[in-house]
Formats: sequence, C-alpha cells, structure tokens
Amino acid sequence: MFVPCGESVPDLMGFTLLMPAVSVGNVGQFAIDLIISTLNMSKIGYFYTDCLVPMVGNNPYATAEENSTELSINTEVYSLPSRKLVALQLRSIFIKYKSKPFCEKLLSWVKSSSFARVIVLSSSHSYHRNDLQLRSTPFRYLLTPSMQKSVQNKIKSLNWEEMEKSPCIPEINDSEFCIRIPGGGITKALYDESCSKEIQMAVLLKFVSEGDNIPDALGLVEYLNEWLQIIKPCSDEPTASALRWKIPSSWRLLFGSGLPPALF
Amino acid sequence: MNSGVWEEVGCAKLWNEWCRTTDTIHLSPTEAFCVFYHLKSSPSVFLCQCSCYVAEDQQYQWLEKVFGSCPRKNMQITILTCRHVTDYKTSESTGCLPSPFLKALKTQNFRDPVCCSLLEQPNIVHDLPAAVLSYCQVWKIPAVLYLCYTDVMKLDLITVEAFKPILSSRSLKGLVKNVPQSTETLKKLMTTNEIQSNIYT
Repeated sequence: MFVPCGESVPDLMGFTLLMPAVSVGNVGQFAIDLIISTLNMSKIGYFYTDCLVPMVGNNPYATAEENSTELSINTEVYSLPSRKLVALQLRSIFIKYKSKPFCEKLLSWVKSSSFARVIVLSSSHSYHRNDLQLRSTPFRYLLTPSMQKSVQNKIKSLNWEEMEKSPCIPEINDSEFCIRIPGGGITKALYDESCSKEIQMAVLLKFVSEGDNIPDALGLVEYLNEWLQIIKPCSDEPTASALRWKIPSSWRLLFGSGLPPALF
Repeated sequence: MNSGVWEEVGCAKLWNEWCRTTDTIHLSPTEAFCVFYHLKSSPSVFLCQCSCYVAEDQQYQWLEKVFGSCPRKNMQITILTCRHVTDYKTSESTGCLPSPFLKALKTQNFRDPVCCSLLEQPNIVHDLPAAVLSYCQVWKIPAVLYLCYTDVMKLDLITVEAFKPILSSRSLKGLVKNVPQSTETLKKLMTTNEIQSNIYT
C-alpha cells in the first residue's frame, strides 16, 4: 500500500508513473535512479508491502552531508509535480510467490490514484534475440491497446521498433507466437494485466547481458527521453549523453570494496 | 540481561531450514524462537532476544505479530546487530579497517544523538533488522539500528565491547548497571562459550 511521507496523500491524478522492472542487469532500476537523481525528485512516500526483500540504507541520492542521513527503504515513491511525473523505485528482489500479488497491488494503486499512464523501464536477455533482432537496435517498446490510441502517432514518428512476438514454446516448430520477455521479471505480467484492466501502459526495454550495465541504463533513459523529453535532447555525440544525467552517489563501489595491497 | 531484572513475557516461534535446535532428542520444528522480556521495574520497557534466523518470507508476518497490536505512538526502538566486515563496502581494502567498529542507521523521527557515525552509502542492511527499521520509517516510529562490523565468525569479547558506547545512550543508560565492571562480567560470559567451542578437548 502507498504510505505518504507527510500527513496527507498527495493528489497524483493525471501524473505519469515511471517504474522499473527488476530485470536482467537491473537496467530499469539504474534508469529510474538516473531520472530521480537528475531531476532531483522529492520523496513523497513508500509503497509498503510484504512482496520485496527488506533493505535499508541512507539516502542514495545524497549530494551533501546535510541530505545524506535520510533513511531509504526498498520501495519508495518520488515526484516532480512541475512535470507531473512520479517515479517508483524498487531496490530489492521479489520474495518467492509474491511477484503476482505485487503486480495486483501496484495496478490497484495505479487505478485508485488515477495515473494518466504507466511507463515500465525494463530489459531482456540479449542472448535470446533472433537473427533479425541481432542486426537491429537493442531497444524495443510495447504499448497496451488503451495506450496505443493516445500515443501511436508520436511513437511512429520516432521510428521505434515494437517488441516482436516469438514462439511461445521455442522447441516446438508450429508453436503459437506471443510476446516473451525473458529476463524481464514482472514486465510481461504487468503488461498482460494492464491490457486486461485497460490501463495505459508502455514498456521500454533494452536487450542486455549481465555485466557493467551503467551504459545500458544511460541508453535506456536516452531512449525514454526521445519520447518524454525529460531533459533537453542532445546532439548525436554519445559521450555527451553520459554527462547530462546525474550519477547518484550510491553507485560507488558497484563491484565491491578496494583490493588488499598484499594481493599484488 | 544478566542482572536478573528482566522477566520473560512471551515469544515468537518460527521455523525455517536455517534453524538448528540444541535439543537433538526432541526435534520440534517450532523450537526456534525470539523471546520477549520486560523490565520488572518498568514494564513498558521491552527487550527481544532473537536467537534464530527469520527468513525473508517470515519477516513481514513477524512484524505484524510483534508490532501489530502495539500502539505506534510513544514507542522507540533500538536494534543491535552484527555483520562480517567483508560486507562493508569501502574504497580501501576491508583488511585495513579497524574492526570491530560500529555504524548506525536511524529513522526520520529519531531525534536523539547517535553513539557512532552513520552507515555511509553504498552500504545497506538486510534481514530482520532492515525489516524492523523499514517498518519504523514507514510508520514514523523513532528507531535506531546499531550495526557492528566484525572480522570474527564466533562471539568474542572484543566484538561485544564494540557495543559499549551505546550503553550511555539516552534510551539504554537507565537499563545498565555498573558499566565500569562490564568488562569483567562479559569475560565470565565469554569464557563459558569458549570452552565449549574447543574441538580438541
């Protein structure tokens, strides 16, 4: 359930909800971190459930001593009212059998808060690509039917690739075709539920492999930015994009502590 | 706890694959538990000693059972826990750190001074301590977590003594007697443990 930081529940009617799927390379979560950090979004509450593994730490977006001591938990909600944006960040994995209940609770909150639309940032295993996908851009999008009506023209003008259907059971030759997002966590479940509940949802994902996924996250936020124009669009220079997004202080030491000098 | 002023008032029983019962004759799955005591002289002061691992899919239910019926107003919580120093992320090697050392995390509504430095990013806390602190943060309960990073796997005097600074904190100083003699008291408690752990006798 949503629990506000303050005394009252903020009015989020008509806002766009950005959220990650916990997926391969944690790309969606990194991307949401970049958005919250760059836009300096304020924390407005928690999405408190029994669905994700508990964790706590100090403010992951701290910029100075003064703001480094605010406690953060595993699911937090941030907003930027001037742009009618809300970001939900998930910082841990789902507890066994709890991913479906989480999807239900989340979409129930989406409906009750009257969000205009939901955008899910996600990723999928790059090794599952077919030959055509290997030769094309690694970015894909998916829109629920109710979302297609409102943004189809805009998406068309961006020349984006829609996520292709693939055999439901790859081992069987005449298997039916359906949308599959291997490594995407709850992405497919959220998308299917949103289709049936007529929620306006878009999924933006990148084909990735596990490793240093920061460049993938930067790529994904730039992809989102082509559509939402969260920050001013840049030139074609790829290195310039990395400088426009503010890397959070919590991204330090992603690959562990310093090495013992005696090792060498 | 050794002072005899605490009275057992209840327990939370649970079992998971991590639990090891000391009683090998009566292997009951519900043996593992957390025991609750209250201070005889001031029954609103509670102490919980958790001697079992509470699995991630049990933590939320544990919180609901323990805190569900408690009034959230006028409650303050102190959590003490330990982690191995290799869990601590720092730009230096963890071998260079002066372990054991204490770090703290506190909720927004906790106003008292903390007895050590706060846990810096990118370090985080998991398991039951994180579940309790998350609950307190969400429901605006003042709470503080003291986390001791130690380089030993078994309980030892030096690690326990690392917690000494918190004995003079506002919430705990009224509960502790004879702080100067605490080292001697601790030594007696530790000795019993060490003899049992020697596999060569």
